[in-house]
Amino acid sequence: MRRNATAARVDRPEVFLELTKSICPLCKRVIDAEVNVRDNRVIMRKRCPEHGPFEALVYSDAELYTAQLRFNKPGTLPLEFQTEVRDGCPLDCGLCPEHKQHACLGIIEVNSSCNLDCPICFADSGHQPDGFALTLEQVSFMIDRFVAAEGEPEVLQFSGGEPSIHPRIIELLELARGRGVRVVMLNTNGLRLARDPRFAADCARVGAHVYLQFDGFDRRTHLAIRGRDLRAEKERALAACEREGLSVTLVAAVEKGINEHEAREIVRLGVSHPAVNSVVFQPVTHAGRHLVFDPLERLTNADVMKLVAAQLPDWFRVDDFVPVPCCFPNCRSMCYALVDSDGVIPLTRLVEVEDYLDYVSNRVLPDPEIRVALERMFSASATPGAEAALLACESCGIDVPAALAGMREHAFLLAVQDFQDPYTLNVRQLMKCCVEQITPDGRLIPFCAYNSVGYREQVRAALAGVEVSPVVPNAVPLQPLLAETPYGSRTMA
Amino acid sequence: MTATAAEIKACCAAAYSSPFAAWLLGPRFHPGGRALTEQLIRALGVPPEGVVADVACGLGESTVQAARTTGSRAIGIDLSPDSIAAARRAAEDAGLADSVEFLVGDAEALPLEDGAVDGVLCECSLCTFPDKERAAAELARVLKPGGRLALSDMVADHERLPASLRTLEAWVACLADARPLGSLVELLAGAGLGVEIVERHDDALARVFERVEARLRLARAALSRDADLGLLERGLDLVPAARESLELGILGYAIVVARRPVDGRDATTRPLAASNLV
Repeated sequence: MRRNATAARVDRPEVFLELTKSICPLCKRVIDAEVNVRDNRVIMRKRCPEHGPFEALVYSDAELYTAQLRFNKPGTLPLEFQTEVRDGCPLDCGLCPEHKQHACLGIIEVNSSCNLDCPICFADSGHQPDGFALTLEQVSFMIDRFVAAEGEPEVLQFSGGEPSIHPRIIELLELARGRGVRVVMLNTNGLRLARDPRFAADCARVGAHVYLQFDGFDRRTHLAIRGRDLRAEKERALAACEREGLSVTLVAAVEKGINEHEAREIVRLGVSHPAVNSVVFQPVTHAGRHLVFDPLERLTNADVMKLVAAQLPDWFRVDDFVPVPCCFPNCRSMCYALVDSDGVIPLTRLVEVEDYLDYVSNRVLPDPEIRVALERMFSASATPGAEAALLACESCGIDVPAALAGMREHAFLLAVQDFQDPYTLNVRQLMKCCVEQITPDGRLIPFCAYNSVGYREQVRAALAGVEVSPVVPNAVPLQPLLAETPYGSRTMA
Repeated sequence: MTATAAEIKACCAAAYSSPFAAWLLGPRFHPGGRALTEQLIRALGVPPEGVVADVACGLGESTVQAARTTGSRAIGIDLSPDSIAAARRAAEDAGLADSVEFLVGDAEALPLEDGAVDGVLCECSLCTFPDKERAAAELARVLKPGGRLALSDMVADHERLPASLRTLEAWVACLADARPLGSLVELLAGAGLGVEIVERHDDALARVFERVEARLRLARAALSRDADLGLLERGLDLVPAARESLELGILGYAIVVARRPVDGRDATTRPLAASNLV
């Protein structure tokens, strides 16, 4: 048929990048999803046959997003899988034999209660009438499963709820250390560290690393994200950690329009405080309980890296952040820096990191041990100190590295991690996730699947013996369909 | 001032065999790293059955890269027997002994027959060859008719170089003897090569400056207080001037691709924008 000569053909307003699978944010059924680039923004679009179309911003810089793909390291098989493939990703977690990566980091949520009731909490925790606290036996079994899968696990993080209010938390930390877990972390809001001097001492005694929630310095930030002004408590918690020699990671949840401006001071505190050796920025995860948000205007890793670079131009550039190869490289970017009298020296200025972590060109490297050292550093299980091996082997035969032993306390790690939510969930990334939630029945469920697909609600219902409503995102376009759950999150009305 | 030939050779040998200098410059001595090397190798257009020579190959990393990228045989040539021995070991460890070989040799008297190779790679080293006309003639001689030379090098406009960097000139021979880009192009044309591509890559040099600065700072932070930090401090003091010269185009880094004419006829030379030659 002849085309009408006057009708001009029009290009689509976007570049089609990939077809993947996701879930309906409302009913959680598995649906196809497209990932497209529009105005240099990476946007997921999907349609549920029952609930219609959904769009969400996945990454705000398409150039960075696509450039990161070559950092995709081949995954390593765990020693054992816990489930079988039956319904396909993300319904068989986990880990099922189709999973592409072992667990760099395991998480055990020891309870569901918390001594805070933050407006933002992906775990939907708080002062609640129902809930659970795991027994020593349960946790022991979970660690056994983790060890069976990993051999010598790198990092185990105790979380909650608020793990510090679990009556036997010190024993749990000790238990994990006793099983050969290299780094045992306590993910805490710091209230108990601030108030109970014996607790900080006990944490130090069992060799725990403190993963301290720290969102900023403004009262307004605290009220918006935590519902209370916790500034004095955070300061006391940090002082207690310093006193007891505990090492600390500051973990900031960053939400659009609330605390984006605080990146500079959080990093500066991280660099200067004797107890702190790392800072992690996490764009707020829109799973569980959170503020109303627009899925097309959410913060992504690219935004956070640009915030850091814009607020600390003398210290960091966006290209100082390296995509982490162990997980899917779009999920996490990290920057190591050495602190000296003039500020910080990003590792990327010292070593051509990118040349070593390019897995797509698949070449022979003249010095494979440098790649191994870099892989240890750029991983979800990394902690500062990992760079010592790199600097030693990268510069062997010179007098400098001998002196680098003394540099350890000057090393600083900055990470940016965007967790997926029911809007942005992409099985492409999920299948290579290396951060797993360990469940009391011994499964290792990728963190973002756990929070988005419905696993969290199932586990909570089973442990607490109550019905738990399926949680849906508190997104602008869904507002007319939502009702509040007893925990403050949203469910379908 | 210009260093004598002997001084330049001694300086380069010292720099590249001193572990501290090697560490300061990083594992890849030349600016632009692997990506710029890859661009040069691809520009050679060597077929898989061809041969590439890598002149002043150092530890042979680019030689190996050339063999892998083109699928052809590659010969690395360097003046330093130590570097050649290390390059041989690395190629053997990588299982590439069949496709890569290494020879000790001088760029001004290459140990290759006339027209022996299909492509010549020469990275960041022409500035260190004392007799550049002779070296250029050698690079052209060993090329088959139609074969290409892909070269990267430091470029400098000595008359505009600030006084503070004259000290640097004294101890970094490659800077002392680097030429302006225009005369580099003339040099190759004078050797009978048809220049096809000229590009400035000053950003690559900026990254090297940045790496040297970062490593000087690291060394200063790591070394004990009683160590002699004077040299490190003096090195760090030069960084702002070097950076400024780079921004002004007084210092820079460039690549040139040139072809040996076929059958004695002049190869077509692409017209070059004057701005490229500053």
